[in-house]
Formats: sequence, structure tokens, C-alpha cells
Amino acid sequence: MVVAHTPFPAYSRPKRSLPAGPAGSAAKPVAEVAIASEAEIRSGLTDHLSRLWRYGLVLSRRRDVADDLVQQTCVRALERAPQFQSGTRLDRWLFSILNSIWLNEIRSRRVRQGQGFVNAEEVLVIDGAGLTEAHVMANQVLRLVNALPEAQRAAVFLAYVEGLSYKEVAGVLDIPIGTVMSRLAAARATLSGSVTGNLAGEGGR
Amino acid sequence: MSESTQFPSDEQLTAFIDGELAPDEAARIEALVQTDARVAERFELLSRASLPFGAAFEPLLSQAPKAALEAMLSAIPLPASAKSEPAPAVAGRRRFLGALAACLVAGVIADRAFIGVKRQLAKGDEGSEWRAVVAEYIALYTPDTLVGPVPSNAAQAAQLAVLETKLGLPLPPEAIALPDVDFKRALLLQYDDQPLAQIAYLDPETGPLALCIVRSDDGSAAPRVEGRKGMNVVYWATPAHAFMLIGHAPVDRMQALAEAARARLAV
Repeated sequence: MVVAHTPFPAYSRPKRSLPAGPAGSAAKPVAEVAIASEAEIRSGLTDHLSRLWRYGLVLSRRRDVADDLVQQTCVRALERAPQFQSGTRLDRWLFSILNSIWLNEIRSRRVRQGQGFVNAEEVLVIDGAGLTEAHVMANQVLRLVNALPEAQRAAVFLAYVEGLSYKEVAGVLDIPIGTVMSRLAAARATLSGSVTGNLAGEGGR
Repeated sequence: MSESTQFPSDEQLTAFIDGELAPDEAARIEALVQTDARVAERFELLSRASLPFGAAFEPLLSQAPKAALEAMLSAIPLPASAKSEPAPAVAGRRRFLGALAACLVAGVIADRAFIGVKRQLAKGDEGSEWRAVVAEYIALYTPDTLVGPVPSNAAQAAQLAVLETKLGLPLPPEAIALPDVDFKRALLLQYDDQPLAQIAYLDPETGPLALCIVRSDDGSAAPRVEGRKGMNVVYWATPAHAFMLIGHAPVDRMQALAEAARARLAV
């Protein structure tokens, strides 16, 4: 095969840098000395309300509980505003607060009170008239994820919907990276077994 | 060889699919997938779970009772503990938080207020290091690495969906299709803790070809050409991403292919 070797200069000088941009993880905070103020957190919260609510919905599978979770997350985040490190990602921090409120307060209380959880099949669906094929597919995906055990569901949501790195997922869920990996692997094994029809496409084979 | 090779765990295969392995480990797993039918089968199975998660969950955002939540938030009184420290950069931070809202739509929540500063620091050819790493990786490919049928459109879309989420860039199969070369697969790799998308093609005439994408805020750049590891590279950038097309085809053909990709991926 003929390779046209070019006269173009080869760029050398490999050096540790961040060519891929700053959309990185909390592990690489951009240095900034400022301590976040309550007003800044409040403004950031406004931007993230819908995403927090969606995470609350994924965890609890109940809209009313999702509302509560967001509210308590807001209260807690404002109280702890001085603890937020400027330069790290606010959304990750908020997710971790919501997660811990869910695990340590709301979920355990509901279990104690014996309310349990409705198997809210229909919570994670897109409703509305005129379901297109895309909606049908989306609903299939939502149903599959909804059927996963809670721990796997949270990991799948954070990694595959919110696009967090394993390290970030581990940070939000407060678990080791190895546990993130095993939850995602288990979820993949389950999901791949349930994927059917047009969702899998012929890729499923 | 399969007797002596360690069969990768589901965790390792999952991390490979998700682009969470270090390059050497990823290369090891990839080699196993290529050479061991049982590993390939397990890889296929786990890959089947690469569903369009982002798109499926997107509509739930609009179901959030946004107005009610905003009202709730503004009703929370100032906590006594949160005496705001008037930091020197308050105005800047405000703008940063405001900017978050704009990025939210694209699902790109980034520390982008720092772009300006970083851009100044990141000028020069620092953006070239990732291309060197990719070239090392692609140099290991032979046409046999990419044998097999061209995945169906649905299978392509599923593979690409993973990359879309990680990169915040729409990648429909039509957009990444290149003239006269076959799409073979889309892989998520990792470079310097950042997602790196690798879309591999097979050119019947010159062999393996790859389009790679990373997030980058170094600013837009018109296509340029360079040689690496005996291959030709065309690279360019949009405001949010850096692209490179690498392969063994002659320069003018590489430029034509890059132009086709660039036109369809223009954001």
C-alpha cells in the first residue's frame, strides 16, 4: 500500500496537558480560591433543578418523592455552601447530596414506615399524545432501566445518561470504583438479555 | 492462545466498552476480542446493552415541575450558617453559574467559565499529544483487525449513542458515514481522563481508517495535515471538539474524506 508521506512537520514535544478540554472530572479542579457563597449555590441550583428531579425520580420511582428529594437537596446544599469547592463540578456535588439524602433519610424512613414502594411501572415513561417510534423506543429503554435493582439503576443513570466517569459515579454514590464497575457490568448483562426487536437492531444478532 | 490468555471479566469488558481502561489495558482487551471467539461473544453480548440512554431519559427533564421547584427554592430562607464570603471573583463566578444554564441544554455542564483562561494557556501545539497517542494505537491495526460485516444502521446508532453522551455531540450514522469506506465500529476510549471517540472504517484500498474525537475548547481550527507513524492525519476543531482522521490513504484522499466528515459534523 502506498503511503504518501507528508512534508508536514511532525509535532513532537509530547507533554502532559489537557488537550481534551476542561469538561473534566472533579478530580482535576481548576484552581480557584474563592469559596462558594450561598448566593452562587442558589443560582447554580436553579440551573440543575430538572436534572436533580430526574435523578430523584430514577431513584425513588415516585414523583412526589422526587419533589421532596429536590427540596431537601436544596436546603442541604445551601446550608453547606461553604463546603463546596469552587472549580469542582456543582452538578456532581448536588447529585451526591441528593443521593445521600435518599439513602440515609427518605428511603430508610419509608421502609420503616412500611410504605414500601409501588412498583411504579408507569412512572418512568414518556406520556403524551402521538407516540412516535422514537417514543416507543425510549419507553422501552426506560422500562428496562426501571426494572434494574436500585443500586444498578443509579449507576447506569449516572454513567450512561448523565455521562459521569466511573470515578465521578463512585464519588456521587460514595462507593469504590470497583463496585461501580461490577454494578454496571451486572446491569449490562441483565439489559442485554432483555433487549429485543428494533431496540437491539440487527446488532443484537 | 485462548488457553493461556486470561479471560476478561464482565467488569473489564464493561470498562472497555465504556472507555474507562488505560490505553495498554484497552489494547490488551481489544486484542482478546479480536482473537478469542469466546471473548468476542461476551463482548458482543455486553455491548448489546449500549442503548440510547441519553435520548430515552431526555424527555423526563421536561416532566420536572420546574416552576414549582423554582418557587420552592426561592422560598428557602438564607441559612444563618451560610454567611457568604465576598470572594474576589464573585462576579466571575456568577457569570459562570449563569453560563451553566446555557450549557445545560446540550447536557454539557462544564467548567467552561474557565475556557478563556485555559484557552490562553493551551495555545500552541499542546493539542497534538492526543493525536500522537491515537496514531500509536491505530498503527497496530491491520485490515484483519476490522474484518467482519458492516453493522446494521441500528447497531451503529447504538454504538454511537454511547459516544454521543460522553462527548455531547450528535453522531447519527448518516453524519459519520464516509464515501467509499465501510463503517466498522465505534469505540469509546479514554485519553487523559477524557472520553475519546474512535470510529473505525475499512478502506478497501488502503486499509484501516479512523475518525477520532475529543472534547476541546481550544477554539475552531481549519483542517491541517500531518504525518504520523507512516500514516496521514487531517485534523481540525470546532468550538467544543477536536477531530482527527487518520489512515493510510494519500493526502488528497484523506483531505476529501475529512471534508466530507467535517461538512456533516459541522455544528
